[in-house]
Amino acid sequence: MITKLATASVKHRLGSFVGTFLTAFLAVALIAGSGLLLWSVLTAGPGADRFTRADAMVAGDRSIVLTTSTNKGDKVKTKTKEERLTGAQPLPRETVDTVASTPGVTETVADYAFPVALDLEGKPVRAPDAATVAHGWSSAALTPYPLRAGTAPGHGEVALQGEFGVHLGQTVRLTSRTGVRELRVAGVVGGDVPGQAAVFVADSQVVELSGLAGPTAVAVQASADGITALRERVGDAATIHIGADKVSADLPGAVPDYIGAISIFGFVLGITGFAAVFVLTGTVSLAVRQRLRELALLRTAGATPRQLRRVLRLEITLVTLTAALPALPAGIVVAELVATRFRELGAVPPQFTVSYNAVVLIAAVLLGLLVTVFATGLAARRAVRIAPTQALRETVTAGRVGWLPRVLVAAVLVVGAVAVLSLVPLGGPFGMGMGFISCSLLLCAVAALGPIVVGALTAVLSRLAAVTGVLGRVAGAMTRAESRRVVGVAIPLTLMFAINATMLLNGDILTEVTADQQAARTAPATVRVAATNAPGLPLATAAEIGSLPGVTGSAATVGTRVVVDEGGKPEDYAAQGLRTNGEHALDLGVTDGELTIKDDTVAVSRPLAETRGWRVGDRPVFWLADGTRVELTVVGIYANWRGFGDLVLPAELVAAHDPRGLVTALYLRGAPDLTRWPTLAATDVRDPRAGTVDVQNQQAAWELMVVISLGFTAIAVVNTFAIATSARRREFADLRLAGATARQLHRMLGRETLITVAVALVLGCVISGAVVGTFSVAQDGQWRLFAEPLRYLALLGGVGLLGVVAGAVPARLVVRRRSLPAVKLG
Amino acid sequence: MVLRDSQGAPPRDVVELSGVTKVHPGGVRALDGVTVGFGRGSFTAVMGPSGSGKSTLLHCAAGLDRPTSGQVVLAGRDIAMLREPKLTAVRRAHVGFVFQSFNLVDSLSLWDNVLLPQQLAGTRPDRKWAAELLTRVGLAGREKARPGQLSGGQQQRVALARALAARPEVIFGDEPTGALDLSTGRAVLALLRRFVDEFGATIVMVTHDPAAAAWADRVVFLADGRIAGELHTPTAEQVAARMMELTR
Repeated sequence: MITKLATASVKHRLGSFVGTFLTAFLAVALIAGSGLLLWSVLTAGPGADRFTRADAMVAGDRSIVLTTSTNKGDKVKTKTKEERLTGAQPLPRETVDTVASTPGVTETVADYAFPVALDLEGKPVRAPDAATVAHGWSSAALTPYPLRAGTAPGHGEVALQGEFGVHLGQTVRLTSRTGVRELRVAGVVGGDVPGQAAVFVADSQVVELSGLAGPTAVAVQASADGITALRERVGDAATIHIGADKVSADLPGAVPDYIGAISIFGFVLGITGFAAVFVLTGTVSLAVRQRLRELALLRTAGATPRQLRRVLRLEITLVTLTAALPALPAGIVVAELVATRFRELGAVPPQFTVSYNAVVLIAAVLLGLLVTVFATGLAARRAVRIAPTQALRETVTAGRVGWLPRVLVAAVLVVGAVAVLSLVPLGGPFGMGMGFISCSLLLCAVAALGPIVVGALTAVLSRLAAVTGVLGRVAGAMTRAESRRVVGVAIPLTLMFAINATMLLNGDILTEVTADQQAARTAPATVRVAATNAPGLPLATAAEIGSLPGVTGSAATVGTRVVVDEGGKPEDYAAQGLRTNGEHALDLGVTDGELTIKDDTVAVSRPLAETRGWRVGDRPVFWLADGTRVELTVVGIYANWRGFGDLVLPAELVAAHDPRGLVTALYLRGAPDLTRWPTLAATDVRDPRAGTVDVQNQQAAWELMVVISLGFTAIAVVNTFAIATSARRREFADLRLAGATARQLHRMLGRETLITVAVALVLGCVISGAVVGTFSVAQDGQWRLFAEPLRYLALLGGVGLLGVVAGAVPARLVVRRRSLPAVKLG
Repeated sequence: MVLRDSQGAPPRDVVELSGVTKVHPGGVRALDGVTVGFGRGSFTAVMGPSGSGKSTLLHCAAGLDRPTSGQVVLAGRDIAMLREPKLTAVRRAHVGFVFQSFNLVDSLSLWDNVLLPQQLAGTRPDRKWAAELLTRVGLAGREKARPGQLSGGQQQRVALARALAARPEVIFGDEPTGALDLSTGRAVLALLRRFVDEFGATIVMVTHDPAAAAWADRVVFLADGRIAGELHTPTAEQVAARMMELTR
């Protein structure tokens, strides 16, 4: 019977379920979409295997593993944490010999893999969607890369994949950390490893070009017994990779890296998930309240509160599941669209694909169902206890939750938000995430406090509206009388503004602070020299330019990543190798010690020094890009680290241990004559575009996510307004019967909407102001409400306009301009 | 005479319907050439079996609905073909309403409810008169209360005060006692009667209750969308007998 009642109710009152349906559809679609994206980056394959012809690969460490043991009374707990390296560790001579001499090993190939850049007369040459990696010619057989034309490369020659579009006999310029060389194209090879474009040099030249002390891996042909023997003999000196794991022996830079994408998609899932839960809860409880009268009538017909709850639960389950059917394909479409855009932006590797996973999709539906059923239960808790006699009354009001539990819940949430804002260092890598979390907590607090906060605000704002005449006065009285409804409609608007403002403004502030620090850092320099044909210039070239007449000071920076031991957890940090000469060309804002980086010294950014507790004179341990462990003495602590890195090491050390090892930017004081180097370009250091391509891409990816979040919350706002307005037909009819024309009604509702929107925006501004302000103080000690006033005003105006339009349109649909008053309403 | 001064007004009925036909969408003929008038200072009850068209008659006469054909003259003006929002303007200037379901605006106080029609019309509300009306209906001192805090009988009395507040030409009641118990219903009817007797109000009331109809000066009977006779100064028994004939 109950099931029949629920299905009949949904079938016959489709209109009133449209709002819930739409919200559930969007929520499930977005959760499914972002869930799929996160799943795809988390489980993304390690990349294509370049070693298909090898039985096993012997390689050095590709990650730093730290093991900590804590003695907890009777048992010892061991934790192992891992961080991937960005470079490959070369194998020492002895290991290579051991491998070759192991019985059962029939053949070995020393594989060298190192990133290079190619250009033809200054124009970069790249294969589409692939990283350019160079090897010795003997590695070609491992994949294989068969020779299609020409011959194998000899000394001073290269063989390239056809995808480069370079012809036999042409001379290409090859830049690696060891220098720049002109090489003749002797051969063109076929074969294809997705994501990699292969360049082969003569085996005799590979050490000279790569600067590697040994091969990055050794490919082995061996029997099963041979591999077992190999494991025993090599021991801890290297790792034996077999099967699908062989790909791990490749150069890390050639294998796709999803670390950035994981954090973006994780963030997106968090935001959409929160917004979905928030919006769904609101919509569902609004829909239940809208049906109080009907529920009361069912009570008079003899339904018990228990039965009513079951009807409501069944209804919402039916609606959510129906919404989930189209939502899942929609979620897949969203995931594909985002993936496409991210590939274009370079925020994910070009070979990234969305992998469909049934468990993720089912989880999205279950989450949606859980939220709708829970929200229904919450809204129905009091609604179903309605006294049957109330059905006969015209106004049915649900029981209200007392103010005490609301205040208590809100207090806990606010304390949580304050704790997050004040205890977590927002200036660090978790700043954005923590900003978002505190924003969510504050939003929940406002929602819990809803009637109290909104009531107080409407009391003020509605009296302002009363000044505009009788319509304003009536509208004001209505918002005061129905503060619950105002809450229901205002909260989604507040959510829309606060969430998106926090995301957007924090991003802006970060960009601005980074730009400020960049400007401060480069202020002493006059020009910034960068290569136009490659990602950077060799250190030797930088040294030559630094000693040109007319140059009074130089600072060459070599970008790299360094792993730091964070109490047992290896953590990867952006770092720079630095070599200075003459006058200071870079101002890192040293706060302690000095910045003369010599052989075994390091300078540390202030936030990292603070979190690790390092002082000048300490000797912490670092792992360089290729996994080499070094102990360096801290000689300085600096402030201008944004957009630069948390560690400054000797440039020679970095260049020797990072496979790229090129000077990404060379800052100079003076006016150098660069005509000898046609592939180098000098730009004014004040040029804002200088060296921020990565940042811009990240920003674009970020803004795409804000757009999705804005779209979702905007639909939620429109939806809420529509539900709230359509529930008021009776009230409108009463007003019409009291003598209001349709036009007067619309104007009255317009004023009501204005009050509601104003309430929502005030709350939104307070929340985003608190979060963004604290975030900003954490970045550079300066309090800001926003970084770009135009953007802030546009967002404020846009959200406000959306609210006003969303309020006006349904009112005009419910009460048409020339309609007669509705007399017969159930 | 506290209501509108009738001196100088033409000696015709306040509301005059002639040949009014109403065909609802779907082809149901609710009214079929009805011609009837309601005199100034009279209290008329409209009766008839379910589906006889009595509510439609009231809605057409009050300007809440537009007849398919025919004339509806309200306060000397044909409103039959008038469109919104002019219809609303005419209504709020000349007509007061009392409905079965009270139809007060929940979010406004009693006082605001009573003054609302005049404020919406943009006229200066007569606050003294409104206060007197609230006293008359026995709700003086409850001005700040909300409709939801009142009983049904009290709400209907507020609706009465509101209907009278703008000094309308005519008050239409659609089953005004339909949702009330016997004694509160009787109190409301007594108030209606007093407004006719003391203030010269004109009241047209649709009802299905012979006892309620007996409070009127005249009962107009309706069957199948046509006038089926009338009774003057009726008793409840006479009305009931007539209804029996009509429903037979």
